[in-house]
Order: sequence, then C-alpha cells, then structure tokens
Amino acid sequence: MDRRKFLRYGAATGALFGTARINPDFFFSSAHAQGARPLVFLSAENITGNWDPTAHTTLSQTNIEGFVMGYLTRAPMRPGAPDEVVYELATEITELDAHRLQIKLREGVTFHDGKPFKAEDVKATFEYGALPDRPKQVYPGPTDTFEVTTPDDHTVVVDTSKGGYGASLFIFLASYLPILSATDVAAGPNGPLSQRLNGTGPFRFVEQRGNDTVMEAFPDYFRGAPKVPGVTFSFVGDATTRMLSLMNGQADVIERLEPEQVETLQAQEGIKLSRLVSVENKYLWFRCSKPPFDNPLVRKAAAHAIDRGMIMEIMGTAGEASSNFISPIKFGYFDIPDYPEYNPEECQRLLAEAGFPGGQGLPELEYITSTGFYPKTKEYGELITALLQEQGFPVTLNVMEVAAWNERLYDRPGGGPGHMVDCGWSTGSPEPDLVLRTHFHSTSKRICGIVDPELDAALDEERNAPSMEARKQSLQANLMPMLADKVPALSLFTSVLIHGMRADVDGLFIYPDGQSDAASATVA
Amino acid sequence: MFILRFLARRLFQGAIIVFLVSALIFTLLRVVPGDPVRLMAGGMAPEALIEQIAADMGLRDPIWQQFGRYIGGVVQGDLGQSFVRPANGAAVGGASFDDTTRSERAEVLALIADTAPMTLQLALLAMVFALVIAVPVGVWGGLHPGGWPDRMALYLSSLFVSLPNFWLGIVLALILSVKLQLMPAIGYKGFAYTILPALVLAIEIAPFLIRTLTVSVAGVMGQTFIDIARVRGLTRNQIVFRHALKNSSIPLLNLIGVQFSMLLGGVLVIEFIFDYPGLGLLTINAVMQRDFPLIQGIAIVTAAAFVLINIIVDLVATTIDPRLEY
Repeated sequence: MDRRKFLRYGAATGALFGTARINPDFFFSSAHAQGARPLVFLSAENITGNWDPTAHTTLSQTNIEGFVMGYLTRAPMRPGAPDEVVYELATEITELDAHRLQIKLREGVTFHDGKPFKAEDVKATFEYGALPDRPKQVYPGPTDTFEVTTPDDHTVVVDTSKGGYGASLFIFLASYLPILSATDVAAGPNGPLSQRLNGTGPFRFVEQRGNDTVMEAFPDYFRGAPKVPGVTFSFVGDATTRMLSLMNGQADVIERLEPEQVETLQAQEGIKLSRLVSVENKYLWFRCSKPPFDNPLVRKAAAHAIDRGMIMEIMGTAGEASSNFISPIKFGYFDIPDYPEYNPEECQRLLAEAGFPGGQGLPELEYITSTGFYPKTKEYGELITALLQEQGFPVTLNVMEVAAWNERLYDRPGGGPGHMVDCGWSTGSPEPDLVLRTHFHSTSKRICGIVDPELDAALDEERNAPSMEARKQSLQANLMPMLADKVPALSLFTSVLIHGMRADVDGLFIYPDGQSDAASATVA
Repeated sequence: MFILRFLARRLFQGAIIVFLVSALIFTLLRVVPGDPVRLMAGGMAPEALIEQIAADMGLRDPIWQQFGRYIGGVVQGDLGQSFVRPANGAAVGGASFDDTTRSERAEVLALIADTAPMTLQLALLAMVFALVIAVPVGVWGGLHPGGWPDRMALYLSSLFVSLPNFWLGIVLALILSVKLQLMPAIGYKGFAYTILPALVLAIEIAPFLIRTLTVSVAGVMGQTFIDIARVRGLTRNQIVFRHALKNSSIPLLNLIGVQFSMLLGGVLVIEFIFDYPGLGLLTINAVMQRDFPLIQGIAIVTAAAFVLINIIVDLVATTIDPRLEY
C-alpha cells in the first residue's frame, strides 16, 4: 500500500464512522409520533386580512372565529332537531312580549385579554353588528330599529318596538354573530378589532404566521381548558395537497372533500369522514337588474330548462336534493310545491310569452362560475350551460379561479358582471332571513340585485310576524311560493360538508356551516 | 482590469434587461381584465369607494405615469406595498369591505425577502440532487459512447423527462410520505420539508444535465490531448477526473446557470403541490389575487437574479478556460 492509498482509505474510513454519528432525524422526521400537539386544520379558502368579524362573509375566517370567539348560543342544526339551541354565553333567553327579549348571561366568563364578559359587550356587539355599513350586517334591521338595555351586568333586554318586528328574531341570530368586547368595539373599525381576534372561546388567537392562523388553548375557558394545546388553521389551496397532508398525518382535519377524494379516503386506514347536510344551498343567481333576467318570465324559463336531477348525479355524495331557497335544516324549510322543475315545454312557452320564441332575440349571456373551492362547479356548470343552450339560451360558461370570481360576484349599480353567477350561501344559524332577506330584499340584494316591492312586502311580513308559528306560516304560504314564482335565483341543491379527519381525533363537533367546536377534542 | 470592464459592461446590460422586463410586466398587468381595487376593497364595496381608493392609489392615471412613479421607487429600493397581503404575510381573499388595514399592508421587498431564501434552499438542494444523479450517469455514458452505459443514460433521461412533475410530486409524496412515512411532504417546518420537492425538481432537471455531460465527456475523450495523456502514462482516473471532466464542465456550467435561474424564478407547480412557502407559491397567490406590486416585484427580482447568475457563470467559465471571451 502506497502513501496515497493509505490517505485515501483512511479518509474513507473516517467518513464512514462520521456518517454513523449523524442524527438522521435532522433530515428525515416523520410527522407522526409526536406528543401533545396542536390540532392542524387545513382550509380550502384564504382569509381576508381584516379580523373584524363584522367586516367579511368569508367562510374560512368564520371557521377561525368558531375556535376563538364566544356566542350567546350555538345551533347544532342536526336534521332531527333543526331548531335546537345550545346555551353558551347566554344561560336563558325569554320573550317578555312580542317586541322584548330578555337574555340572561353566564357569569365568571372572561375575554382572552382579561376583560370580564358583561352585558355591555352584548349591547356593543348588537349595536355595532347592525350598523348599515357593516358588510356582515345581519340583524333584522339597522341599529336605529331596536334598543338594547342592560338592567344589570348579566342581563340584556332587546326591544324591537321601534322596528316593528318581533324580538324573537334575535333568538336564532344569537348563534350567528360572535360576541365582541365592548372595549374593542369602542375603538371602532380602525382599532384592534381589525388587527386580531379577541373572544371568550376555547382557543386564544396568537398570531397569523404566513398562511397559518395560530391559536393556543385558553386555560380559563368557562367550560374547562381544551385538551389539545392549540389549533393551527392553515390555508392550503390545492385539494390533493390537503388530502395528502391528511394521509401522511401532517393534518388532522381537512374540509370540502371532492366526491372522488371521499372514495379514496374511505379505503384508508386511520382516517374517518364526517358527512353533514349543511346550511349552505348552492344557487344559480340571475342578475335581475339588467336584461334579459330583469324579466321574471325569462328567469322562470331558464329555471325550467335545468334538470336538477342530473346535477345531483354529478354531485354524488357532496350534494343533497332540496326544493327551497334555504337548507332543510333552516327554520321554515319545506319542499315548495311549485318549485321550478325541468320542463322543456314550459320553458319554451315562457320564452315565447316573454317575446323570445325558441330563445331568438336573447342577447349573448355570460354564466360565471369558480373552480377550486366549491366541489364540481365546473362540471355541473357545463351541464347547466348545455341544458340552457338546448332550449335556445345563447350561454357561454366562464370558469374562473376563486379570486377573479369573487371580484365579479356581487351586484353593482346597473347589474353585476355577467348574467348568471354560481355561488353558495352559508350562515351558521337556523335563521332563514340570513339568506332570504340578505339576498332578496331591495335594501340588501347582495348578488341578484332584485328590487321588487312585492318581495319586500313579503319579507317584511314574515319578519314582523307576532310569533314563530305565524312566521313559519308567512314564510311557507307567502314568501317562499312567491320566490319560486319570481325565481331571482334558482337554488340547485343543498351542499353536504364532507370533512376528512384522522381516526385518532375524537370529540370534534362540526357545525353545518363548517365551524368546529374543538373544546373537547383530543388527538391520540 | 478585465474583470472590472467585464462587470461594468454586463451589469449595465443587465440593468437594461431588468428595466425592459419591468416595463413589459407593468404594462401587461394593467391591460389584462380584473380590477385589483375590487379585490382589495371586497365585492360588496360600493362603486364610489372603489373609485376613491383607485384614485387615491393613482391606479386611474395613464400607465406611463404609474410606471414612472413605480420605477422611481424601485431605483430607491422601494418595490411598494402589496395590494392585498397584510403585514403578517397571509394569503388573503377579497371580502373585506373597508380598507382599514391599508397601512398594515406588507412591503413587497419584505415578502420576497421572506420567501426567496426558501426557494434558494430548494433550488440548491434540487441542484445537488440533480448533480448526484447526473454526474455518475452522464460521465459513465460519455466514457462509453455507443455502449450500454450510454444507452442507459439515454433511456434514463427519456424516462425522467417524460414524467410530469405534478404527477411525480403526488406519487412520491404518496410513497415516501404517506406509505413509508420517511419524511414530511407538505408545508415547511424544517429542512426535511425541502427534500421531497427538491427530489422531484432534481428528476426534472437531471435529464438535461445527463445529456449535456454524456455529449461533452464523449467529445473531450475523443480529442488528441486525451490520447497524449495516455502516452504520458497518466492513469485512467487521472485522465478522466483531472483533464476530461474539467474540459467538459463548461457546457455543464452554462446549463446549470440557466436551470438554477429558472428554479429561482419560482418553481410554481412544485411549490403549489407541496405548499412550500417559497417564491413560486407567493407568485401563484399574487397572480390569483391580481396583486400587481407583488407580481412586478417578483419579476424584477427574478430577472435580476437571472442576470447575476449568468454573469457569475461566465466569470467562472473564463476562470476554468481562459481562452473564453465574453
């Protein structure tokens, strides 16, 4: 052996021994087998960048609020008991009379910043949330139509005499808007409300780290400290990526599964699925403020051209048939007898009556839909386009990524972009007006842009009904049949929320709007 | 002196390229449909507010005026603020009605500075993996032109080049991460998260390196000075490693420069599939959100990186082979 070979072999032996001492965990570390760790939730939708809960209608951010914020009540909305209300920050809600509601509040609750929860917070939340400039203004009327008084620190009385509508409307709404701290509200929309979340929920908002919303268990949570140390809620845009994360154990819960993914995950060990009929209906919105859909005959003709049975075949497990403008788990749902069904002859008759026999004379129509968030929108969009074209509607389908679609979604002066647009609407409460009044009253008309005095009157009538029973009667005998006749939008089906989760995740309660209660959740 | 003249000339040329890229991207972004103000202010914002924000931000001025303002900032190192991203860097949607967090928008330079090192790490590791695969296969193939190692290099390159990277990414994640649980795949919480995407990129790059190496090694091995080296009594290893490889590294070096620049420009599909928080994912989100300042900033930074890498490659090449002139 010469000197060079000796050096070479010596170096090789040294390298061999050195390699054995490298800790391979630095390079390769399985995502499994970790100790107490936060629950990792992957979302299909990004957030808005403004934490004020009244400043957006974005579902992913509402889901984050579900972990952090406290609500007066929660509405589990299971099909067997759609009206069930679970008391949370409220301990008792009593109708003193038709226009006055008394809410008794839980004692000993604190916000995450240490402020004790009191009646002033509920008053501030109701009054702020009902301001007309709030995008998520959801209360039966603006702030000047009701009065909130606080006889003591743990009693709130809502008086709706000024607005003329029943105070009972606040019962279902109590489970929708999270309770804000009066101190935060006092600082206005430019204050801390927009910078971070501060609630009374089981998890405290820590920070937004890139696309991860980091939350940690709040030890002083009034139902007892959560069992998991925290929740990490991350936006991951790609559906396959979310599924792979669940399969390799990096994610604990993923949302909005496509029907094909359901089949894949069902065959996987260590993964379970949650399937829930949601509060969300998917709609084909007509732009009612511009031709040709300003004519109810044309809208109705289009509705009769669409075979919803075929759409259900495409949706598979991700959709549930329904014949109303609200989900079956909302207050007042029933199958509207005259809900528009697939009927080509009726479609042609209506088109001829409207002055467009066989579709002749109709302008070129644009149908806008999105891809990447809602399951199967492109697929059933193509079906709807073909069905409409078959009846003579000159429709072009425009499939967009979510941000571009979002930009074109809402009504504008003179009518929003396109002529038809696909969108769902999900609100975490049995309250039907969160959909009906939001979209079909001329003071709101978010997407379809309809202005119709008869609809306004019908919406006011059901809102002002003296009792829940009278309201249900008004909804089912007057408003809903009227909507089926005027079809400002066609509700296609009710979404089914399918979540995939690791089998070792226990005790996670998922609400039909996608929010989760992880206060009792454990991860083995 | 040569180096100074060389650097001055190439940097001047590079500045012109970056300026042209900026002008092109700036103009193109403003003629495509999609109003960024609508995304910023939210779909429910009234028209008057949209127009007010647009006017305040100068977005209704002529394009040349907007570009003049922008390039003035760029010269001073200010790439502007993102239209939609808050300072915490989250990818946001467009549902916020009022614009109260406007002052909290992230600086484009800060967003790029946060994500560029991630992409740099990914690109470097991918290049290391690619070289580990390509050098033995390519050199071996080049040493046996027409023989089975050469054919194997060709078949392997053909196989690698025909694998779509999104498919390979998903399959490798499924096998290595889900089934074998060797390593994590999605997101980034440590160095281990770089391995899988780097491997996919390496397989994508390796065929080009293999072919370049095979051809150039075979070419060099056929030259007279290699025959003379044998006559001089040098061993085969000395001939291959000291003489053949050094001479065949020039085309490889140029190729590595180009490939590396492309990797830095944002490995869009791979970063999206693996949710890897680098420039590629930032670019995809910026495009989807019509975040003009961010798209422009990324384009300028990657164009500048492309220019700089090419200058470095040329400098290294002249060091290896002083006969080269640039």
